[in-house]
Amino acid sequence: MGTDRSTQSFGSFGSFVTFGSFSFGSFSFHVFSVRVIALLVLCVVPAVVSAQDAPPPDILVSRHLAESEDLTVGSIVRLGTDAAGTGAREFRVAGIYEPTPDPARLGVVPRAVRLHLPDLLELTRSVDVPAGAEYVADVNVALVNPDEAQAFAQDVNARLPGVRARPSGEAAGSAGPFRVLERFHLAIAIVTIVAATVFLLALTIMLVEERRETVGVLRLIGLPVRRILAQILLEGLLVAGVGAAFGLVLAVASEQLINVFFQWRYDTALVFVRVTKDVALTCVTIAVPLGASATVVASWALLRRSGLRLARR
Amino acid sequence: MNAVGFAWRSLVRQPARAALGVLGVAAVGALLFDMLLLSRGLVVSMQDLLDRGGWDVRVSAGELPGAGLRVPNALDAAQAIVDLPSVRAALVIRTATAQIDRTAGPPLRASFQGVTTLSSASDGASLRAPWTIMRGRDAERPDEVVVDGAMASEGGLEPGSEVTIRASCVSDLEALPATRLQVVGIAEFPFEATDENTVGGTLDALKSACGGNVGEDADLILVTSTGDANGTAAAISAARPELRAATNSEVVGRLQQTGFSYFRQISSVLTTVTVSFAVLLIAVLLTVSVNQRLGEIAALRALGFSRARVVQDVLAESALIVGTGGLLSLPLGLLLASGLDRILKGMPGIPAALHFFVFEPQALAVHVALLVATAIVAALYPMRIVSSLPIAATLRDEVIG
Repeated sequence: MGTDRSTQSFGSFGSFVTFGSFSFGSFSFHVFSVRVIALLVLCVVPAVVSAQDAPPPDILVSRHLAESEDLTVGSIVRLGTDAAGTGAREFRVAGIYEPTPDPARLGVVPRAVRLHLPDLLELTRSVDVPAGAEYVADVNVALVNPDEAQAFAQDVNARLPGVRARPSGEAAGSAGPFRVLERFHLAIAIVTIVAATVFLLALTIMLVEERRETVGVLRLIGLPVRRILAQILLEGLLVAGVGAAFGLVLAVASEQLINVFFQWRYDTALVFVRVTKDVALTCVTIAVPLGASATVVASWALLRRSGLRLARR
Repeated sequence: MNAVGFAWRSLVRQPARAALGVLGVAAVGALLFDMLLLSRGLVVSMQDLLDRGGWDVRVSAGELPGAGLRVPNALDAAQAIVDLPSVRAALVIRTATAQIDRTAGPPLRASFQGVTTLSSASDGASLRAPWTIMRGRDAERPDEVVVDGAMASEGGLEPGSEVTIRASCVSDLEALPATRLQVVGIAEFPFEATDENTVGGTLDALKSACGGNVGEDADLILVTSTGDANGTAAAISAARPELRAATNSEVVGRLQQTGFSYFRQISSVLTTVTVSFAVLLIAVLLTVSVNQRLGEIAALRALGFSRARVVQDVLAESALIVGTGGLLSLPLGLLLASGLDRILKGMPGIPAALHFFVFEPQALAVHVALLVATAIVAALYPMRIVSSLPIAATLRDEVIG
């Protein structure tokens, strides 16, 4: 009775709280979130121990933490800032949440809790810091008119020395890695397309060579080169179109498979592959003309020869 | 004429087809080679970066060094570590954000690394900070600093120049008076990101820049053992259980499980896709080629070529296409790897000296093995066609056709 079931540090825990509306200069806005990150130590205690006069404050715990520590809604836990449990306080698990998937932390199990900001500050405040003198890492601001973000940031920077305000677009530094990955994937896609084109040319040259006699006969019975070329182009378009459609079906079929595998592998809700309309359109736009062009290019050398020479065995 | 010579003539007879086949294998092989270089590139490169300074154990407050948590009472902790018999020296690193004023233009933002070495061994104190001096000398006095090359060229700094620094050691919200420090050297910082500027100096120089408001914490303590890094890490963990001591290999292992995981996965996926792609396309090329030469092969069989011999010819043809393409894929792959490396190094926060694609003999061996397997597997179906070819029926069909 009353003994801790586990004591373990779990990394960064955040706190989010809504404050309300304010006005600053000529701008109207409301602060919708404040972020403080702290490393806390969690101890799970039986509920009976915490059934004291004042109910403990509510917290949310991430699904991963709840699963690993067998926490359920209503569980009572003790949170402290060090392994010794100095100044630890009891909290009640009010809910279990699925953390927003973060591609930058792939492979890291997000064991996290969310506290109300006053509770977190109370818990993490040093003894030499008076209440109300703590600082927070970030303050997110929602403007009534989002178009004024740049002007608002400049106004804050001018009026509050020591505070750096930036519009969200500029502050989105975390998007940087994904832009780089996008370029990396594009480069790999280009190399793949080049390799596929070379193979395609080799194949079409062989296939066209196989039809040498047929083309020769068509030439001998009077069909002009342009007419035969148009027929070859149409054939190429048809084959490339069917190939592209098959490729898309394969991509859509494997999309779910890949997502399920990697979501299982990393225990995350992150979507790894998504075949969007844009992606599908880009693939078709590249594949169909490329396939048709390869057929025409491969046929061109053949069609320059005389019909008699082509038909000769 | 042996099978290879025969296959060579067969390819040379249709140069366009053969050249395109070889080029296709070269392009796919280059991608395959790059994926193999990528699969362990970050690990090898990071291990090299960590080992470069000669510090073999890293002590931090969090799971990963430099993850944001600071070692409390760092000098006391470092002294306790240095007192361990297996420790030769310890280097305390404290980092702060700094602004360097310029006569023209906005101030440069930089990271200021203040370091101090503690050692009980006679040669330990000679171990220096984790940066390499390129010009000038290392900073030794509290009013001296070294700066990185990019900052030197951007700020017009040379050994002997003076800089005005405003450093914030405790919080970014501090508004501190400016401090003038002398640049005595231009250094290369191994973990500096491409989009980052760094200033280095002694811990006293950092204190001076921060107006004395540094606190007792440090970001990291680097340790050099007397030889047994694993034993030293264990001894430090036992002596200071609140700290995390890890050897360079352990740090790389932790990074492998987190930050490097994506590249390992994408490398595995693309290696599989690339090999499958190569097998499929070479198999199609050989099959079509064999189908076009059925009459010729049947004639050879009728002339006395054994079944095994025609099978060998097909295998040799596959080996020649894949072998030549594979050879071409090596320089092509290295060229492509340098381009892809440049793209990936555009990621914010990636050390400039870190490489995603690193050549290893092991990668080359796997590349060769995969290409050999590709040549064999791709030739299986066409080999089956020629081995089961009915000689008389094929010749009759050819004559009638």
